[in-house]
Amino acid sequence: MKQTKKEKKLLLPQETHSHLKEKVRKQTDELKIKNAQLQKGVDREKLADDQIHILTKAVESVLDGVFVVDAKTPDFPIIYANSSFYSLTGYTKKEILGKNYFLLCGFDVNERVSEEIKQILFQGKPYHGEIANLKKNGEKFSSLLRMAPIRDIQGEITHYVGIKTDITLMKEKDLEIENQREEILHVTRVGKLAEFVSSLAHEISQPLTSILSYAQAAQRIFAGREPQLQEILQYIVNDDHRAVEVIRRLRTLLKKSKPTFEPLDINTLITDTANLMMAHITARNKIIKLKLDDPLPMIQGDRIQLQQVILNLISNSLEAMEASRESRELMVETSLQGAGMILVEVKDSGCGIPLENMNKLFTHFFTSKPDGLGMGLSISRSIVEAHGGCLEAKNNPDGGATFYFTLPVNMKQDL
Amino acid sequence: MLLQHKNIYIVDDDESVCCSLKILLSTFDFDVKTFNSAQSFFNAVPNHEPGCLVLDIHMPGLDGWETQKRILASGSKRSIIFISAEKHENAAQQAVKVGAVGFLQKPFEGQELVDLINGALDKTNEQL
Ligand SMILES: Nc1ncnc2c1ncn2[C@@H]1O[C@H](COP(=O)(O)OP(=O)(O)OP(=O)(O)O)[C@@H](O)[C@H]1O
Ligand SMILES: [Mg+2]
Repeated sequence: MKQTKKEKKLLLPQETHSHLKEKVRKQTDELKIKNAQLQKGVDREKLADDQIHILTKAVESVLDGVFVVDAKTPDFPIIYANSSFYSLTGYTKKEILGKNYFLLCGFDVNERVSEEIKQILFQGKPYHGEIANLKKNGEKFSSLLRMAPIRDIQGEITHYVGIKTDITLMKEKDLEIENQREEILHVTRVGKLAEFVSSLAHEISQPLTSILSYAQAAQRIFAGREPQLQEILQYIVNDDHRAVEVIRRLRTLLKKSKPTFEPLDINTLITDTANLMMAHITARNKIIKLKLDDPLPMIQGDRIQLQQVILNLISNSLEAMEASRESRELMVETSLQGAGMILVEVKDSGCGIPLENMNKLFTHFFTSKPDGLGMGLSISRSIVEAHGGCLEAKNNPDGGATFYFTLPVNMKQDL
Repeated sequence: MLLQHKNIYIVDDDESVCCSLKILLSTFDFDVKTFNSAQSFFNAVPNHEPGCLVLDIHMPGLDGWETQKRILASGSKRSIIFISAEKHENAAQQAVKVGAVGFLQKPFEGQELVDLINGALDKTNEQL
């Protein structure tokens, strides 16, 4: 034992030394790891800090109103809003924080909408929609609102984040374009109706003429005889007069408005009309290209009537391209012809015109469309002719049709 | 008013207008011939043949105005009365301007037409 003890003792220093060394080394390593871990943590924290900083800055710089609502309290208090939100609503930070989002933005005016949004959010779904809101000063504005739930690790909804975009200007512009388009469509419709009535009046006047003449001939043949027949003939004559009067009134009611001529730039007119129809064209997944010879001399014409012609031709081309996905392109081209004429061409890649229809295109009531009136082209031609030009049609060698018309250059401007 | 030729030519593309006017004018003792186009009238009636022409304006092919121009160009003095179912703002003035007897908007009273025709026939008689 002693020996072992001694041996142990003898061994001890050596053993202790290496043991100690080992221990120190181990501890140092551990320390190093811990240190590294610590450093990593610090780095990560710093990274996270940087990220939060950037994120906050980004959200603050966004031009849309961004806000966060506490989802745990029932009255939707706003706990954060970026500066765009303040300028959008006209409120200050103090006035906004803690306030019910829906009350703040004038949703109380339309409770149904806010209830609908809440229902969607409660289901954990995002909301997306256009709504009318009120600013602090009571001014109305249209906004595009998107709201989405934010969840914690357990998946529970803690907040809602919202983005609010002011679309008032956009809507106003849309509305303006829509109104202009409506106006032209209205004029076009009234024009078509007037044309319709005048051709109807013509068609009906013919048999009324012969009925009246037959009856008056019979009155003369049986003059002084057959009082019963005379009476009947007089009824026929009277009713014929009545029908004529109805037509006369219809004609005055829908009298084609007299054109008002003014100097016009045809390129501007085409660009304006194309813009009016842009929404209509893109909705049909078609493209319109303008190839306008610029500058062109002015023409003398009626703005609305000429717009009507361009509108009719573009509508027809769109309808001709409707059936096919591949035919998408529509081109309006202007150029100066010799002899003081401007040429306007509307070229499409649609179904083209069957040869047997070529001669009928411009006659009243000719249509190949189930809901067509067959008035568009006949009206357009009479308008162009009233302007001293011609409207014609041809098929393109590479498919589709081209409708083209000429307009004389306004000579007055040279004087 | 002796020996007057009461010849009336009616040119209208509407069959029943032609037919009814023919019957009506016959009751006024006119001699009436009808044609459905200006061309068929030219083919059948020589320019020197006397008689008044009742001429529809709106017709396929040669229209009323064109037809009148041709007659004038041939040197014929034929009296012409324009008729039309279409509403023409200044047709009456236009008709007189180009040398026609007058214009009647369809439908018209038989008597109106007869008065115009008689006026025209009187005039040609004076000239004779
Ligand atoms: N770009 C085109 N390509 C092929 N066919 C055309 C084109 N434009 C017109 N057509 C043919 O000419 C017909 C008459 O056109 P028009 O514009 O007069 O009347 P619509 O378009 O049928 O009816 P609406 O009176 O409503 O315009 C059309 O039904 C169509 O068959
Ligand atoms: Mg059309």
